Amino acid sequence: MRKSSAVTKIAVQADSPKLNYKEKDRGSTAMAGEEAAGQNKGFKLLGILDVQRTPCAREAILHGAGGSVAAGMLYFLATSRVRRSFDVGFAGFMLTTLGSWFYCRINNAKLRVQQRVIQEGMRNKVVYEGTVLDPTNKPNAEAPPGPP
Amino acid sequence: MAHPSQLGFQDAASPVMEELLHFHDHTLMIVFLISTLVLYIIVAMVTTKLTNKFILDSQEIEIIWTLLPAMILILIALPSLRILYLMDEINDPHLTIKAMGHQWYWSYEYTDYEDLGFDSYMVPTQDLTPGQFRLLETDHRMVIPVDSPIRVLVSADDVLHSWAVPSLGIKMDAVPGRLNQTAFITSRPGVFYGQCSEICGANHSFMPIVVEAVPLEHFENWSSLMLEDA
Repeated sequence: MRKSSAVTKIAVQADSPKLNYKEKDRGSTAMAGEEAAGQNKGFKLLGILDVQRTPCAREAILHGAGGSVAAGMLYFLATSRVRRSFDVGFAGFMLTTLGSWFYCRINNAKLRVQQRVIQEGMRNKVVYEGTVLDPTNKPNAEAPPGPP
Repeated sequence: MAHPSQLGFQDAASPVMEELLHFHDHTLMIVFLISTLVLYIIVAMVTTKLTNKFILDSQEIEIIWTLLPAMILILIALPSLRILYLMDEINDPHLTIKAMGHQWYWSYEYTDYEDLGFDSYMVPTQDLTPGQFRLLETDHRMVIPVDSPIRVLVSADDVLHSWAVPSLGIKMDAVPGRLNQTAFITSRPGVFYGQCSEICGANHSFMPIVVEAVPLEHFENWSSLMLEDA
């Protein structure tokens, strides 16, 4: 069995407080534009959908609620049918929620792709800086010509 | 690691796990909407005063409740298959580690450059220091460089085990006489915990996995020190 002191030394360095991510803080893995979750527990609709911690969920549900009220009210004002207005309102909720959800998710997916491209570019910039692969490296006029 | 009474996934530490989280959110929203629809229909059915004993068929609603579930299933299946194949990609790993399951500990071998191997036993509860996690800490962690593709070859020495780290989105069965391959990249430095995920005897719950992702320089220092201690 090896001694653990060496590992502990490295582990202490690696376990510095700045590297200890809290469980409810998504940190660098957060979706682009998403704020880090607070310490409070998420609110779960129907006990399953955590609207606070799931990206786009809160906006989708709020838009859905607004669309539902608008659709139901409009239908009722037009027809004065109470029960059918509830049905229309519910249909409005479903459609608005779905539409808002997918629109937000697609935009976030695009932002995440951009985020990864930028991260990769930053990493490559550090690696390639000062070499021939550096895209910002301007050729030196006084440098001797290369082999024919 | 998971916090007490946690029901959801742990925060992602690898790109694959991020994709899994997003797919889970996508599917959960669909499930939530279907559940809401069913609940609404139940309430509407229970509270209606309308009755019709002579309905025999209705082509329109039959078409709707055939096509709509098919579309929903396609909406779920496409990202699911995408992630399934994404998880199988092995892109030029920088390091290969062999994880062997034993009763009841894991052993890790880093044999790419030098012959480095060590066992990883759970730290007993009475030996924990303040701040350490019960049933999760080990005496030797599997240290890996952050942001580097790592290949893990999983096998077992005696009975079935399973090497699982939830925050990396990894679970691979350790089968005696078989080499299973998985690969991952850690997006951030940190310590990631997992537990054996295949029943393997009396101490199945007491053979955890700890993966520690550190900058490359620290990894090189650690491996040098481990080799010196050998």
